[in-house]
Amino acid sequence: MDCERLQAAVSARMDGERLSARLAAEVDRHLATCAACATFERTAWRLRERARFELAPAVPDLVEPIMAAVREAPGRRPGRLLQAVPGRRSATIPRRPRSPGRLAPVAAALVVGLVAGSLSMGGPWRQSRRATVASAEQVTEGVARAAALLTAYQARFSVTEHHFAPDLPVRELSMGVWFRAPDRFRLDVTDHTQYPARDRTPTDLRLVVNGSAWSSTAPSACPVGTCPPRTTVITNRVPFSGSTPTPTDLILPMNALADAHELQVVGRSAVLGRRAIRVRLTFEQAQPLFPFLSLGGSWRPFFPGDRVDLWLDATSWFPLRYEVFPAPGRERAQWALRFGLPPEPPGRPVFQVNALSVSEQPPPSSTFRIPTGRGTQDQGARTVPLSDLRKEAGFDPVVPEQVEGLDPYRAVLPAPADRSAAPETVISYSKGLNWLKVGETRGWTGDAPYGPVGLHAEEVRLPGGGVAYYEPATDEQGRRLSIHAEGIDLYLETTLPRDQLLRVAASLPVSGVPIPEAWRIRRSADGVTERLPLAAAVSRVRFPVMQPGPDGLPDGFALASSELVTVRHVGGLTLYFQATDSDLGVGPIRLHEEPSPELPPASSAAQSRVEVRGQVGRWTPDRHQLEWVEDGVYYSIDAPGLDLPGVLAVADSLVPVEGPATTTPSPLATPPDASTAPSASPPGGVLP
Amino acid sequence: MQDPDPRTLARAREGDLGAFEDLVRSYQADVWRFAYHFTRDHALAEDVTQEAFLRAFRFLRSFRGDSKFTSWLFRIARNCAMDAIRRRKGHETREAPPSMGPPDPEARAELHAALAAVSDEHREPFLLIEVFGLSYQETADVLNLRVGTVKSRMHRARLAMMHALAVEEDAGGL
Repeated sequence: MDCERLQAAVSARMDGERLSARLAAEVDRHLATCAACATFERTAWRLRERARFELAPAVPDLVEPIMAAVREAPGRRPGRLLQAVPGRRSATIPRRPRSPGRLAPVAAALVVGLVAGSLSMGGPWRQSRRATVASAEQVTEGVARAAALLTAYQARFSVTEHHFAPDLPVRELSMGVWFRAPDRFRLDVTDHTQYPARDRTPTDLRLVVNGSAWSSTAPSACPVGTCPPRTTVITNRVPFSGSTPTPTDLILPMNALADAHELQVVGRSAVLGRRAIRVRLTFEQAQPLFPFLSLGGSWRPFFPGDRVDLWLDATSWFPLRYEVFPAPGRERAQWALRFGLPPEPPGRPVFQVNALSVSEQPPPSSTFRIPTGRGTQDQGARTVPLSDLRKEAGFDPVVPEQVEGLDPYRAVLPAPADRSAAPETVISYSKGLNWLKVGETRGWTGDAPYGPVGLHAEEVRLPGGGVAYYEPATDEQGRRLSIHAEGIDLYLETTLPRDQLLRVAASLPVSGVPIPEAWRIRRSADGVTERLPLAAAVSRVRFPVMQPGPDGLPDGFALASSELVTVRHVGGLTLYFQATDSDLGVGPIRLHEEPSPELPPASSAAQSRVEVRGQVGRWTPDRHQLEWVEDGVYYSIDAPGLDLPGVLAVADSLVPVEGPATTTPSPLATPPDASTAPSASPPGGVLP
Repeated sequence: MQDPDPRTLARAREGDLGAFEDLVRSYQADVWRFAYHFTRDHALAEDVTQEAFLRAFRFLRSFRGDSKFTSWLFRIARNCAMDAIRRRKGHETREAPPSMGPPDPEARAELHAALAAVSDEHREPFLLIEVFGLSYQETADVLNLRVGTVKSRMHRARLAMMHALAVEEDAGGL
């Protein structure tokens, strides 16, 4: 093979062009024997790295001048343009991709809301007792206890938003929330703002959940004038489906306050004449209290690190007030500049929600009437009596012996994904705001755990010995567990705390086994990935493995899984860390290590150099990725949601894994009862 | 380079300024960088970026989706940069490369010198592919060339850049 043709092929392959299998093999053979061509390839990769690193100059922010020029441009088609809200739309915090239900275009206001001024504080509050709450754990437990007992709720709030747009420094809205256990919910947002321009659409929203039906209404996107509301209706949904969520944190913030590590009790005070406990958390963590931001309409942007102060009624635990305060610091100031926000001092709230009335009176059934909409989607889940499930599904679904005091709610047969799909059943239970569902199928042919649980879920030992795979709650999903057993696959999803979920799972008449090799080992053209307990993985690589020290990971994070990654006979290791209770924004943290004398070529134009553990490392902000090489080992940490100081804290804490006894990276990985041994203590049969 | 969400693009085509602003926010940095590599002039690159988005806004309705949106936008940016360079001819004011933050100004200067030394027909595909990560097809769309031509020019651009930097390579620099 002539070198020129070969080098052209190397060049094309570097640029992502696919070579034929034959040419690729020829290239590899030639590269192994021809020094000149091997040098060409190596030099070309170095050139790429240098080009991507060195040619990336600091970039000015031109959004505002460009948009100003666009608005003034003579070619701008008058009458065709949305005179909208310059530069402000829904929350701008980075989000994981959402399920379609959450994004469904939603529409405006059938105005049920009374104007804020006519609302009054009242309602049959629970008898006030002397509050004894002091710690974050007690807040978390108190909210969870109240959620388990709640049967009905209705409340009105006033909402004040600052700095929506330069010509609209303040917007006034009101919010109504209604609930009846187990599965009826309504949220209305009514916009009372007097807009200076006529063609701005008020942010009027409605979300109604009524058993198997779900609907949302919000302004549609339209080119000019006041946009008409658009209603999306979902029928025959699976109970408590994450794609059609019910934002019950507005009533009792079970999810936002699930993790005591993430909140701080800052004191007590009286709010609206009630004794209240004031807790503090980040905006990112408090997201479940702001479900309206993603429902539609227009809102000011929020910085993930902004502070949210929340006043909870000391006896009922209902939120009475919450306010967003700007985070201090340069990063926040630069972020604010990008949105054209005026200076926002950290001491002054930019968003306030205040209860006007709260009561536990059951709202009338008509409150939860599902509107008729043009875009009705039937999700096809068929509700059947529990006694008929066996006949309909073709198997006798297993049920947990104990469900933590919840009552049976609804059993459904979800619509099969296709004709050949094995039948599935979902049995749900609920009490108060809590719910649990158990999904089951026989003859599962997927190549990953059944249900909404990923391959990197934490392997846990259930009380009684079975193995299950666990993932924490997110803002759309509950805590989840997948169980793989002989001829049967199950998943559980719930609002219940982790230990209760594990107890429910242990009471199922099946004993989970470790996931099969076909799921554990994945092969691709690039190499092999094998999920293994940490100790086993460590014993199979030829470099000293590092793991985060006890103070490095964000609070509440622990090792979930470890993987051996073999590419071209070089063994590397990837560790995944996840939150134990709920994961509201940080996402799993991934640490990869492999022997390499140098960083791989740069892969993004937006990268910068940083000092990591005394080495020159590379920070890629859009991927939240930090990479460096230390003692001949390449490390990369991917931590969606963590900023550079947060990722550096993880990097700085790394310590060698010394042996099987230290395979638990954080004391938090081992809950007090030994029933949930982390994957580091392998159940028999996992090791090769 | 990722194309925008089709819904955002559709809304922008309908004249939704908010959606268009999303596009500006997503791509202004890349367009500016691209313009800067053409003009080597900070202020001129800003003008080119602004003009490119103005033209994009004006002609968005004519964008049929035959190529990727990013390729189309870069093609406009390239045309704007060409116009700007033509207008500027006669009063050249090329700047030193702007600072990128972390050190090694020497290496940066060498790379810019090497880039300046290769011909336009090689520099363009090199920038689009190496710096902006475009594919051959996208580069072909931007430069209005055939994919085969892009492929061979890119290969020759690599050889030319390696040659220009050969002195450092000998010294172990590259």
